[in-house]
Amino acid sequence: MRTYLSVFRLRRRMETQYRGAMIGGIICQVMFGLILIALYRALYQNKPQAMPVGHVVTYVWLQQAFFRMLLASDPDLLDKIRTGGIAYDLCRPVNLYAFYYVRIMAQKITGSLMRAVPMLILAALLPEGWGISLPDSLPGLLLSLPALLLGLFCVTALENITMAFTMRTLDPRGIQALLNLLMMTLSGNILPLTLFPDSWQRVITLLPYAQLLDAPIRLYTGDVPPAAAGRILLIQALWTAALTGLGYWLWQRHQRRLVLQGG
Amino acid sequence: MNTIRLYLHSMRMLLKCQLEYPVSFFLQALAQLVMEGGEMMAVILIIDRFDRLNQWETGDLFFFFGIMSVTFYLTECFGRGLTGNFPSLIRTGQLDTLLTRPRGVLTQILCSAVDPRRITCIAVGTAALVIGCRLSHVQWTLPKAAAFAEAILFGCMLILALFMIEAIFMIYSVKSVELVNALSYGGRSACEYPIDIYPRPLRILFTAVAPFALVLHVPSAYILEKPLYGWPSWTAFVCPLAGAVFFGLIYVVFRKAMTHYRSTGS
Repeated sequence: MRTYLSVFRLRRRMETQYRGAMIGGIICQVMFGLILIALYRALYQNKPQAMPVGHVVTYVWLQQAFFRMLLASDPDLLDKIRTGGIAYDLCRPVNLYAFYYVRIMAQKITGSLMRAVPMLILAALLPEGWGISLPDSLPGLLLSLPALLLGLFCVTALENITMAFTMRTLDPRGIQALLNLLMMTLSGNILPLTLFPDSWQRVITLLPYAQLLDAPIRLYTGDVPPAAAGRILLIQALWTAALTGLGYWLWQRHQRRLVLQGG
Repeated sequence: MNTIRLYLHSMRMLLKCQLEYPVSFFLQALAQLVMEGGEMMAVILIIDRFDRLNQWETGDLFFFFGIMSVTFYLTECFGRGLTGNFPSLIRTGQLDTLLTRPRGVLTQILCSAVDPRRITCIAVGTAALVIGCRLSHVQWTLPKAAAFAEAILFGCMLILALFMIEAIFMIYSVKSVELVNALSYGGRSACEYPIDIYPRPLRILFTAVAPFALVLHVPSAYILEKPLYGWPSWTAFVCPLAGAVFFGLIYVVFRKAMTHYRSTGS
């Protein structure tokens, strides 16, 4: 356990090195957030929906703030697999799946917190109707935190599954682009899931991608009342267990058949 | 003339290279199709829920999305050397070799790459345009076709110029400055929808600073016969020139920046 903790700490420290990239990233995300909010406000003026516009605005800000969590974050491993450098990792006296799981999670946590905190402060300072609104209720906020944590486990497990496929195919660009698109669309980054047709939402919210950010955001805005939180957290926990299990199995399998490249 | 022949020749060679690996090419083009299809799905879902946007109806919204998509991906396809490969040219110092040859640097950069995978994105944009024209009952006339061609041509110049700004920053800082993306990619996201729905600061940004509205939206509104801000129809032919002016200005700055270029080479 200690080994994995120190891997976590090292990756966290690495991620904090790139402050310039962080500031650039924040400004880009804020810009995109403002454009999306302007669009949704204009749409709402024409035809108000059952869900208040404030919820959509909050949804957009939280999505933008934690955007980093969704991005694939460990290009090292893909290079290692392509160049054969993974041989060194195989020599380590650790479980490779856990090793990479911890690395990816450290990057996602650090990267998204570093961006989310300044962005959410900024979003809170914006005028009414443009800025993020306060959580619907205190229980809502308290329940959205474990939901966000479970979402983080989920997305890390998902990324590890993508990596497992890379071990077999070597050229992951095609499949990665497809998985990324699924991620961006079905996690509510391109269009809030709450604006999808209502009949679709019943299915989409059950998929793993909705567990990453959509579930915690709905708890935060009160779109899902705290009384129904148990069901959400249960779905999240089930997906986390299933995806981690699947990823672990794929890694064990592919690791044994791995062909080392290069020389 | 000679330059154009050179460009066409390099395009032919580059295309041959790409098609050497048909399966890989096909898969990547498919991925691009799915990506742009996803963007279009967002527009369809928005229209499905909200029906219209002020005076703009379903067909109009498809048209605006389509013209932006076609213009942007045409630029990314043929301007790949600038939009995609420039950062690595600077970082590795390969730009030096371009300086020794008897041609303009920009010409050589543009001749160095093409990205035919984008053809699927352009196809999605074209489909959106066709659907938009059908739904809005656009009657094509010669002036309208001229305005359309002008919008696409100068739109490409505008987007190319926006990517050149990033290149200029890179000449000075070596590391790529993603900040500038906020203007090019942000402009694409924002101006997939007509400009007049946005609040004043965003309108000013995309009219006066990065003139997407003048180049793409004024002619589009003319084609859809719903003039933007009620402007007279001759503006549809004059406004797109803003793209050429913008390109000219950035080109001058780019030339200036190149004189400051210090190689990273080793």
